[in-house]
Amino acid sequence: MKKAGFILVIDSYLVRKGLVSILNRIPGIAVLQEFHNSESLASYLLKHSVDFIIISQSLFEASADLFIRDPALLEKTVLLKDGRPGGKKRGDSGSQAHSSIHMSEEKEKIEGKIQELLNLGGLKNGGLDSVELSPRETTIVRLVSMGLTNRQIADNLFLSAHTVMTHRKNISSKLGIKSVSGLTVYAIVNNIITIEEVTSLPA
Amino acid sequence: MITRQDPMYQVVTDHPQLLPLFPRFNLKLGFGEKRVEEVCEHHHVNTDFFLEIANAYLDDLYIPGEGLSLFSLTTVVNYITSTHNYYTEFALPGVEEKIHTLLDHSSLSENEIALVRGFFNDYKKDFLAHISQEEQDILPYILELERQSALERPEPEFIQKLKSYSIREFEKEHERLETSLKYLSALIIKYLPPFENLQLCYLVLNDLAALVKDLVDHADMEDKVLVPRVADLEEKLLNTSFPA
Repeated sequence: MKKAGFILVIDSYLVRKGLVSILNRIPGIAVLQEFHNSESLASYLLKHSVDFIIISQSLFEASADLFIRDPALLEKTVLLKDGRPGGKKRGDSGSQAHSSIHMSEEKEKIEGKIQELLNLGGLKNGGLDSVELSPRETTIVRLVSMGLTNRQIADNLFLSAHTVMTHRKNISSKLGIKSVSGLTVYAIVNNIITIEEVTSLPA
Repeated sequence: MITRQDPMYQVVTDHPQLLPLFPRFNLKLGFGEKRVEEVCEHHHVNTDFFLEIANAYLDDLYIPGEGLSLFSLTTVVNYITSTHNYYTEFALPGVEEKIHTLLDHSSLSENEIALVRGFFNDYKKDFLAHISQEEQDILPYILELERQSALERPEPEFIQKLKSYSIREFEKEHERLETSLKYLSALIIKYLPPFENLQLCYLVLNDLAALVKDLVDHADMEDKVLVPRVADLEEKLLNTSFPA
């Protein structure tokens, strides 16, 4: 299964390293990056896909804009609070976050919360890429990988040749792959076809 | 973080992953005790530009931007051209040769071999087409743009051209070259029967990973430094030629 990618945005070195050591002992987790401030957080998130963000209260407040702009980000956010659980103070900012960990909590309690997060997340066991092909496009990629011409694909799916061409164009621009060999390898790597199906075809 | 005062030998010892950058700047080894800035000056390389590129190369979180806007477009274009040369003359042929050797001595079926060879050949074709389009159309256009904007009266023909073309069109069409290489690695790691020559296979995967990283950095620089600056210049030139 794909690992859940965590990033930690925590100013205290000791707290951050402590949390990393807890996370590293839980199977199915990869700590992707640690930040001691929130400066490069936005640019990191643009470039990388992340499943969970554990962020300390103060840094969360410092980068509130980022989270307001992107509600999907809040869904992934775990707030690391300084106080004890229950004690409401300072206007309780960040209560919208997915869940929270309290600095005073014991190791077992923290592990339990992380585990819960992983179970709830139901991470999909996806392929290599996040680009989504439509079911129809996926079928066409599969047929292309099996060596069918556009004409044959059209006959197979009861479509006009023109429609198949349009699908092929859309597929190429979504994936940035034009050649048949490129689409074939894409299909294998994304579990659209098995390598046996491809290589057992007559050359 | 590398600075101009660091001894160059120390830089390379600490960060051997920077070595692929050296031929692009025409920097030769044998540094002796020279500092970064001395080596650069000796080879007529802009030290600040070298530092900017090298530090970006080492920092995965680095988003090029402010730093690189200090340099002329000509400097950036020259660097892009020599990076292209590095790809076409060194990186791509290097990994290609290893892949062919790996396949030649493997126990893969004919069809499996054909799949990998076909894939790589098509990839190479696309890659070279991508680069030659940039070198024949885009880069000369950028240099011309910089030349025209330095003129007191830009030539009317060029302004005419500007009205119908913008670098943003190039950006829209700009395809990512690294994606297919990731698929190739995945194919080798996950789906093909194992190669007996693990050592060579390891080198191939290493080469592919290094090239992927290099291509990501390169595309980022084109999209995040070059394109915005060129777009700015286009706008400025159009505005001064047709004051509102």
